[in-house]
Amino acid sequence: MMLLQSPSRFLLQILTDQVQNIEKGVDLDFHSVEFDDVRYHIQVSTKSPQFVLLSMSLPTPPPETVFFDGLPLGAIEAVKAAFGQLVQIHDPPKDGFNLTMKFNLSKLPPEEDQQHALLVKIASVREVVLGAPLRLILKHLSSRTVAPDVDQLVALVHRPKESFFLVPQADKVTVVFPMRFKDPIDTVLATSFLQEFVEARRTAGLNYAPSCLWSPTPPSELQAASAQELSANAGFVTFVISPRHVEGKKLDRTVWNLSTFHAYVSYHVKCSEGFMHTRMRRRVESLILALDRAKPDMDKSKKSTRIKAFKKLTLGDSRGNSNS
Amino acid sequence: MDAAASRPAVVIDNGTGYTKMGFAGNVEPCFIVPTVVAVNESFSNPSRSSGKSNWLAQHSAGVMADLDFFIGEEALARSRSSNTYNLSYPIRHGQVENWDAMERFWQQCIFNYLRCDPEDHYFLLTESPLTAPESREYTGEIMFETFNIPGLYIAVQPVLALAAGYTTSKCEMTGVVVDVGDGATHVVPVADGYVIGSSIKSIPICGKDVTLFVQQLMRERGEHVPAEDCFEVARKVKEMYCYTCSDIVKEYNKHDREPSKYIKQWKGTKPKTGAPYSCDVGYERFLGPEIFFNPEIYSSDFTTPLPAVIDKCIQSAPIDTRRALYKNIVLSGGSTMFKDFHRRLQRDLKKIVDARVIASDARLGGEVKAQPVEVNVVSHPIQRFAVWFGGSVLASTPEFYAACHTKAEYEEYGASICRTNPVFKGMY
Ligand SMILES: Nc1ncnc2c1ncn2[C@@H]1O[C@H](COP(=O)(O)OP(=O)(O)OP(=O)(O)O)[C@@H](O)[C@H]1O
Ligand SMILES: [Mg+2]
Repeated sequence: MMLLQSPSRFLLQILTDQVQNIEKGVDLDFHSVEFDDVRYHIQVSTKSPQFVLLSMSLPTPPPETVFFDGLPLGAIEAVKAAFGQLVQIHDPPKDGFNLTMKFNLSKLPPEEDQQHALLVKIASVREVVLGAPLRLILKHLSSRTVAPDVDQLVALVHRPKESFFLVPQADKVTVVFPMRFKDPIDTVLATSFLQEFVEARRTAGLNYAPSCLWSPTPPSELQAASAQELSANAGFVTFVISPRHVEGKKLDRTVWNLSTFHAYVSYHVKCSEGFMHTRMRRRVESLILALDRAKPDMDKSKKSTRIKAFKKLTLGDSRGNSNS
Repeated sequence: MDAAASRPAVVIDNGTGYTKMGFAGNVEPCFIVPTVVAVNESFSNPSRSSGKSNWLAQHSAGVMADLDFFIGEEALARSRSSNTYNLSYPIRHGQVENWDAMERFWQQCIFNYLRCDPEDHYFLLTESPLTAPESREYTGEIMFETFNIPGLYIAVQPVLALAAGYTTSKCEMTGVVVDVGDGATHVVPVADGYVIGSSIKSIPICGKDVTLFVQQLMRERGEHVPAEDCFEVARKVKEMYCYTCSDIVKEYNKHDREPSKYIKQWKGTKPKTGAPYSCDVGYERFLGPEIFFNPEIYSSDFTTPLPAVIDKCIQSAPIDTRRALYKNIVLSGGSTMFKDFHRRLQRDLKKIVDARVIASDARLGGEVKAQPVEVNVVSHPIQRFAVWFGGSVLASTPEFYAACHTKAEYEEYGASICRTNPVFKGMY
C-alpha cells in the first residue's frame, strides 16, 4: 500500500466501465493530472464507443535530457510492443500533448482475465512511455551487456525540468537521484528519511536488495554533469542495480520503482507529517483535559461555552465512530 | 502567476455518505467513494504482548497502524472479510467529527485515488452551511501543513449546487437549494451568491433514514436477508427500485391490483456461505421516499413535510427575495434522485402557496387580486453530484485562483484566514 501502483486507478476505472458498457455508448471527455505533471486526456465518442482516444503529456525535460520527437528514447517501440494491434499511434499528437494513442477495445481478447490484464497494462501506460529508456538499459543489464551507442552518463527526466542519472555498465547500473524539495520542512524530513532508508538497507533480510547510499554532495559518478543539474537540497541517493534485480518479471517492478522513486519519498514525507499532526493533536487534547481539571470552578457559564466549542472539535475522535 | 495555477484545481466534496473527487473542468468527478476509513486495530492493542512491553515495539506498532488503512469500497471489503479492521466514518451529519480519520482519508484520496502531488494543485473543498469556523481552521491547517497545498478555497455546498444549475444559461445566484444527502438535509436560501443564514432550515430526515425505513419494512414483512448484509441490501434496493408516488392510497391499490408489475425481486448471495437467496421488494418502493412528504409514517418526533419546510424557509427570507426564491428551487444530493421527486415537491409546494394566495384574497375581500406566485422546482441530470460539479465549474474560472487563500497568506496570518471565504465574482 505504501508503494505507488503502476496502473492509474482512474484510467483503469474508465477503461473497465467502457468495456462493460460498450453498447450503452456514452460520450466521455476527461482530463486528469498525475504526480510529476503527467497529464491525460481521455475521449470516447458515442459514435464509435470501441475507440478510446488517450493523449498523454509528459514532464518538460531539462536541457541534459534528450527527447526524440517529444518522447523519451524508445517510447514508440515500447508502446507498440506492449499493446500490439490494440493501439494506433496518432501523428502528430493532439495539441499540447506528447503522445496520442487510439485503443481499439473490440480487439481485446474475450477471456476475462486476459482482458483485465491488458486493461491494467493500458492503465500503466505511464510506465511504458516514461520508463522506456530506463527499461532499455536495464534489459541490457539482464543480459550483461551495455547498449551500443549509449553515453557513459545518461540523464532521464522524472519530474518537470529534473532528471536522474544512470551509469550503465555490463555488470551493474548505477542510478543517482538528486533529491530536491520545495518546502523547508519537507527537505529536513526527507533528508532524515533517506538516511534511515539507507540504514534500513543494511539490516538482515534485505541482503538481496540493491545496495544504496546517501550523500550530501554529488557522488563521483556525476563528475561529468553540470553544476545546475547537481543542485539538490536533500542530498543524493545512489542505487547499484545488478543483473539479478532485473531478471524476468522483476524488470517491470524495478523500472517502475526507480522512475517513481522521488514521488515515493515525497509521499512518505507527507504521510509522516500527517502522522506527526495526529500525535500533536492528541497531545493538545490531553493537555487541554489536564488544564480543564486544574481549573477552579468559577464563572461557570462563560467558560463552559468556550470549552464546549473547543471540545467539540478536538475530542470528537475519541468518541465512538461506528456509524450505526 | 505560479505554475500550480496552470494546472486544474482539485475539487473534493466530502459528504457524510460519499466523497466526490476530481479535477476542475471535468463534467464528472473521477471517483465517488464511500466516506469511510478502515484502520487495522490489531496494532494498537498491545494487550497480547506480555505485560512489560518495551516502548520501541509499541511505538513501531503505532507507526504501522498509522500506515495500515484503507478507504472507500476497499475499506468496506476489508472490514467484511476480516475483523482486524475497524471502520470509522469521519463525517457525521455533514460535519467532520474525526479529524485523524479525515486526514487519512484525504491522504488516500490525493495520493492513491487522484494520484496527484498536492503541492501542484489549488484545492476546492466543500462544507455544509452549518459548519463552524473552527472546523474550517482545522481543514486549513491539515491542507497547508500536512499536504503543503499552494492554495485553498472552502465553498459552501448549496452555493455550489446553485452554480451547477446555471452553467448553460445566464448565471443567476438566487434560489433555494434543497440538498438531501446521506446524513443531512438542508434547505438553504441564497440571494446573489450569499447564503441567507438566518433562514436555513435543517430536517432530521435524510438518505440514511430512507435506507433504515426500507430495511425496517423488509424486516417486518419477514424477508430473509442475512443480518450482516441487511443495511447494504436496503440501500441498494432503495437506489434501484424506490420512486416517489403521487398518492399513497392509490399506489397501494395499484400494487394490490397488479402485483406482478410492481413487485420486484432482489437477488443476492450470503456473505458467509456464498449461497444465493432472493427476496421481494414491495410497498417500500414508494413508502421509502414518502417519509419526506409524510414524515409521521417514519418518525413521531418530526412531522413537518419537506414542502412545508421549504415554504417556511422562503417565508422567513427577506420579502423582496421571496418571489425569486420560489421561482428557482434547485435539488441537489443523491437522495433527490428518486423518480418524480421534483414533480411531487413542485405539486405539494404549489398547493401550499396557492392556498395562501386564496386565503389572502379572501381576506382582502376580492378587491385587489394578488399576483400568482410562480413555483419552479428545477431538476437536472447531474443532481447526484451537483455540488461537485458546481465546484468544478467555479474552480476553472480565473477568479477562483484570486479568491483562494494561499500558502503564503497562511504562513503570514495563520489558520484563522480560513474562517471566511469570499464569495467571488465567478459566482454571478
Ligand atoms: N439513484 C438513487 N436514488 C436514490 N437514492 C440515491 C441514489 N443514489 C444515491 N442515493 C442515496 O443518496 C445518498 C448519498 O447522497 P450524497 O452523495 O449527495 O450525500 P453526501 O454528500 O454523502 O451526504 P451529505 O451531503 O448529507 O453530507 C445515499 O444515501 C444514497 O443511498
Ligand atoms: Mg453532500
